[in-house]
Amino acid sequence: MVAMKLFPHVLSWCLILLILLRGFSGRRLIVVSVGTAGFVLGVAGAVFLYNSFPGNLLFGIIKSVLGVSFALLWGVSVAAVYRCTARNETLLRGERFNKTSLPAGVVAAVAGMVAGAESVCKLLGGNDTTVATVLLVVAAGVMALVVRTVEKWLTASFTVSPSGMLSSVVALLLFSASSILRLDLFSPLSMKVMKGVHDFVHQSMESILIPDHLFVKPIVWKYIGFLFGKEVGFWGGIVIWFTPVLLIALAVGSRRLPSVAHIRLGAQRRTLLAGALRNQRLLLVLPLFSLVIFAAAAYQSSFPSVEYWDPKPLPVTASQSGEILIPKKGEIDLEDGKLHKYLFKQGGREARFFVLRNQEGQLTVDLDACAICKPDGYGQAEGSVICYYCKTLIPLETVGKPGGCNPVPVAFTVKGDSVVIDGMTLINSWGATVQATTRVKEGGK
Amino acid sequence: MADNIIETTGLTRSYGDICALKPLDLAVPEGEWLSVMGHSGSGKSTLMNLVGGLDRPSGGSLKVGREDLLALSEDELARFRREFVGIIFQQHHLIPYLTAVENVMMAQYFHSVPDEAEARTALERVGLGHRLSNRPGELSGGEQQRVCIARAIINSPKLLLGDEPTGNLDHKSTIMVMELLKELRAEERFTIVMVTHNQEVAAWGDRTIYLDDGVLVREERMNS
Repeated sequence: MVAMKLFPHVLSWCLILLILLRGFSGRRLIVVSVGTAGFVLGVAGAVFLYNSFPGNLLFGIIKSVLGVSFALLWGVSVAAVYRCTARNETLLRGERFNKTSLPAGVVAAVAGMVAGAESVCKLLGGNDTTVATVLLVVAAGVMALVVRTVEKWLTASFTVSPSGMLSSVVALLLFSASSILRLDLFSPLSMKVMKGVHDFVHQSMESILIPDHLFVKPIVWKYIGFLFGKEVGFWGGIVIWFTPVLLIALAVGSRRLPSVAHIRLGAQRRTLLAGALRNQRLLLVLPLFSLVIFAAAAYQSSFPSVEYWDPKPLPVTASQSGEILIPKKGEIDLEDGKLHKYLFKQGGREARFFVLRNQEGQLTVDLDACAICKPDGYGQAEGSVICYYCKTLIPLETVGKPGGCNPVPVAFTVKGDSVVIDGMTLINSWGATVQATTRVKEGGK
Repeated sequence: MADNIIETTGLTRSYGDICALKPLDLAVPEGEWLSVMGHSGSGKSTLMNLVGGLDRPSGGSLKVGREDLLALSEDELARFRREFVGIIFQQHHLIPYLTAVENVMMAQYFHSVPDEAEARTALERVGLGHRLSNRPGELSGGEQQRVCIARAIINSPKLLLGDEPTGNLDHKSTIMVMELLKELRAEERFTIVMVTHNQEVAAWGDRTIYLDDGVLVREERMNS
């Protein structure tokens, strides 16, 4: 079971090592030793951080490193396109880069550390992770030796460009991260795009002094509302996600062929040209491979292999005084740390809410919706709840606090052994926030 | 004195019990035009196939250029044929549905990359500038053989092998092809090994060897 969980991460690690070995072909020993040491350090560091600073610090650090890597990939891709159009371009810089020890060591160490930290994140929070962690480290070391042997069998003509190497390493790290909700980068990216589009439209309206929500007719909102949809965020995210690799593939594919016009002998001229073309085709392998891995990461991000706790809402009713009473202990233990959903109906209106004990040990009652998204509800994953509409992860520490994509908190009291919620307040809260949000999303307001 | 481009020592080739080529010692200097004569079954074509890397010897040693052909793998042998040898066959072996220029480009394709301008120039050099777009069926025997010559020399081989290249041609076409080969050899400085039955054709070479039942029986140097 643990092996299955870790398989994509170990596979990613092996492929990263294979690519680095070929990329830094003159520094194989450094790549294997420093890379493996980095992996072990990454595992140890992640375990230490997780145990010392429970919460999101570890995930935040890894996610930041991944974000910086992705930004670096963007920079490299733009530079690659610029360089391939330059008149006096030589490949020497890249060739020198591939043969030097310092870049080989640094890249292998960073890639190894991130890969190791990502892999162990899959184990954190589970039961008895020590044995699994040790096995992970041993497996990584053994695989490094296997990969070194396998790399020798690869054809010598398969060379790797620095940009292709970087793109595939970043792609594999992002792929590895995409199966861990708190490390995933693609969903937050889509969300940022969605929010960016929303803010742009809103600010544009404001800048021409039109208070949009008051003056724009519902029919206009119907069309503008399309811009605020999940699809725009998704496709915008896809464009940002794939562009750097496509640019690198374009740069590699459009590298100028060597000048052969001065060679008198036709066969010699064509041999040189054929060699350059073959080399170019082989250099394209990694950017194209990266495209596939980026696509797999985006897919995995949309359908993460995470088991959500998503209970069916239980119907509740109000007493004659209009109060909803939910016993803390009974058929359901409200303080078991799990999310418990309820559905309250009154006079043709309804409200969905949940009760959850947060990490500080206090009970919180919240609507099963936020003030921003359509009320698709929340599920619970490791250490967080997730908004099903926008896939935003809300750490358990912040559940019960208002704002953003957090579930809207509902006032409640604890009387004796029961949680007491005012039915009318609940219905009104749902109506005021969630139903209004729905109308905006569907082009209403 | 020129280096030897072909060197064989005790070269043999057997097919089961039949010994097509008995231990043969032969040296061909670079740039020489060697004619190989002998009647049917004497081992001429066997020798040519071995020298061209189309077949593997049963024994002895065979060096062509700097390559020890016995030591080459199949891939290396294919590279050797591609880069080192040009072959002209009696039966032309042109692709019937391709034009003359496309037939020449096909050889370029298997060598490296096609270059139509270069293929056209090669055909113009063999006097077929006006027949570029004709298919083999629309060409005379002599013209087809000239396409074969253009195809054989397009990759600048060091060694040009001819397996009775004029066997199917009339006297006039034979003279034309021989003159063309002489001209091209003077320009390109390749070595020619040509198998022939025809004494007159053999006389175009610098030296003629005679094979009989797989044995080199006689050698004759021609007057320039």
